[in-house]
Amino acid sequence: MTTWQLRRATAADVDAIMALETAIFENDAWSTEMMARDVADPGCYYLVAFAPDQPEHIVAYAGLQAAPRSPESDIQTIAVAEEARGGGLGRVLMLSLITEARKRGARETFLEVRADNPLAQHLYRSLGFEDLGVRRGYYQPDNVDAIVMRLPIPPADMAFTAAAAPVLVEPAAPTPAAPVQAEPAVAAPARELNRTDPQVHGIETSCDETGIGIVRGTTLLSNTIASSMDEHARYGGVVPEVAARAHLEEMVPAIHAAVAEAGIRLDEIDAIAVTNGPGLAGALMVGVGAAKSLSVALDVPIYAVNHLVGHVGADLLRGEDALEDAPLEYPTIALLVSGGHTSLLLVRDLVSDVELLGETIDDAAGEAFDKVARVLGLPYPGGPQIDRVAATGSPTAIRFPRGLSHQKDVAKHRYDFSFSGLKTSVARWVEQKQDAGETVPIDDVAASFREAVVDVLLTKAVAACTDLGVPRLLLGGGVIANQRLRQVARERTDAAGIALRIPPLSLCTDNGAMIAALGAQLIMAGHEPSTLDFGADSTLPVSLIQS
Amino acid sequence: MLLAIDTSAGTSVAVVDLIQGVLAERGVADTMRHAEVVGRLIRECLTEAAVPASALSGVVGGMGPGPFTGLRVGIAAARVFALGIARPLVPVVSHDAIAFGHYRTGHTGALLVVTDARRREVYWSAYSGADAASLPVRIGAPALAKPADLLDDGFVHAGLPRLDAATVSAGDLGMVAELGFAAGHPPAADDALYLRSPDVTVSTTGPKRVS
Repeated sequence: MTTWQLRRATAADVDAIMALETAIFENDAWSTEMMARDVADPGCYYLVAFAPDQPEHIVAYAGLQAAPRSPESDIQTIAVAEEARGGGLGRVLMLSLITEARKRGARETFLEVRADNPLAQHLYRSLGFEDLGVRRGYYQPDNVDAIVMRLPIPPADMAFTAAAAPVLVEPAAPTPAAPVQAEPAVAAPARELNRTDPQVHGIETSCDETGIGIVRGTTLLSNTIASSMDEHARYGGVVPEVAARAHLEEMVPAIHAAVAEAGIRLDEIDAIAVTNGPGLAGALMVGVGAAKSLSVALDVPIYAVNHLVGHVGADLLRGEDALEDAPLEYPTIALLVSGGHTSLLLVRDLVSDVELLGETIDDAAGEAFDKVARVLGLPYPGGPQIDRVAATGSPTAIRFPRGLSHQKDVAKHRYDFSFSGLKTSVARWVEQKQDAGETVPIDDVAASFREAVVDVLLTKAVAACTDLGVPRLLLGGGVIANQRLRQVARERTDAAGIALRIPPLSLCTDNGAMIAALGAQLIMAGHEPSTLDFGADSTLPVSLIQS
Repeated sequence: MLLAIDTSAGTSVAVVDLIQGVLAERGVADTMRHAEVVGRLIRECLTEAAVPASALSGVVGGMGPGPFTGLRVGIAAARVFALGIARPLVPVVSHDAIAFGHYRTGHTGALLVVTDARRREVYWSAYSGADAASLPVRIGAPALAKPADLLDDGFVHAGLPRLDAATVSAGDLGMVAELGFAAGHPPAADDALYLRSPDVTVSTTGPKRVS
């Protein structure tokens, strides 16, 4: 199956939107001016969708007009490219717009749909839209009628189920003489936990991605990621409080979207899995609070799982139509590289035996990319920027230091990493050039810096495989998106006879599906659920797989 | 019947009913353990009130004001519980619950509710009294201030009887929602009342030089 990411459209997306608009609405496309005005209008809310590994390639868009405090709103447009149809993306976009309309205080939303487009009408009706009337010959020059539809929007957070129209439940109708005990809270016997192919809802909020994923056993059903990265860009790095606030706002829309994408009802979930560490404390707490509440609301067990081990679990997930390939074999070495972590693990068994071999003693690798990008005047996040600039540079132009690689360091820090000295070394090198009035060869600096990071990561990872006699290496974490890292990983593991595994990129960055996958593994292995008393632990050790 | 959750101070959870009043209420005063205790308190309240989640007609969330880390836990829990049982969320300003409790226990007339905002600051809300539905009438929006500002003669609500509160009762929060709905009052906005910007500074001087 395919996963998509959504983000708010900006002026920079108008061209891509118009390319789709003119291809799909051949005869009645909007003008670029109209589209640009709507996208820029704060009273409007436009979303674009893209595959996680192709953020530049917009495959769908949708727009809402909802002026603040107006009870009415309009779905302005929605279009999904041919290549992205049939996977529920249109529904997810519609749900996101409805959620936004509700957030803005709208009580109803309207749309017009071509009378000759039964598929679209079906989608809208399944979301609860009702027919209001017909506008004769609304679409010109084709002279096609428009059906006007209306959706009443419930006043607060309501569950939109995949098939049913939302039903407004009046809060707090007085219940005068109703004997409360008629329906005892604890009488229903606890459901037997499905340990064969449990449907698990994963919640991940350890850093700046609100990740909600749903799996059935090892089958990936949905993977929704809402990132607050744009909000951090102006600060040049993840700001914990900004991330935590975004988690609170994204949680309910992300759950809506994940459930809709999975095509299930929320009450069909067998269990909840949630990241309780390591990560940013305030961010983790949002996910932990939400997960526990959902667990009690749905009366399903909860599994508190380790974020880092979740990255390894990502490798187990398969799409519904995926060809079977070799399952993850143990033991394996795992190299996890992200903006928050740089860790080397020995995984003897995913659910019972994970050992930390080494980790960074200062900055994470992704952090070093961000900091060096800043030194080079490149925007945040630094990884993709450095990758882009490095394409034309020479990796051997400047020999930057490899942290903890000297003989004396290796004795004590054989599998540990250090990137702080490297970052300082790059900054000094650049400053010396600037002070001497010379031009800084940004592409060479980027390529040489990247080479130093990649070299030290893979030297140590391959050493771990060799030293411990484990001919398997698994990569995980957002920095795995770095092309040079993957290329060198392939070369070195090939040369050393090590089997290399890299999960799809959408499962390498932080996501809820990997957390759900680890939860499902724990359930299938017979592990008991967590109690409701666990906390968020920002420094949770990797050996603690379940809390 | 409503489930009410507030983490703007400690953690407080209750199940309330318009006619029967507070059916169950549990609280933990610790202001550092919201994420740890919120799930168990919800479960205990439902069990004690003998109310299945499906019998609730909504979930009340205390929107603060409150210091941010803890406040979010309760709002997230309330929103997600409402989603889980497919019922509406009813946002309530936490200070309204404090004022409601004070009027309920005999106070009359104007009132200034003050709570700790940490960092040597306080949150305040001003009320003129309780209305016919026993609900507090807020006349000064929740705001952030230095403690000394409230003592200043120039403070717009100077001289009001002052109530410094360290806890918020979810039972009172829930009853504010029940009575407010019955009286036809609109619910509060579904926005967390942090009343403070995130702690970040934007670098305006370009890349920092390494010393």
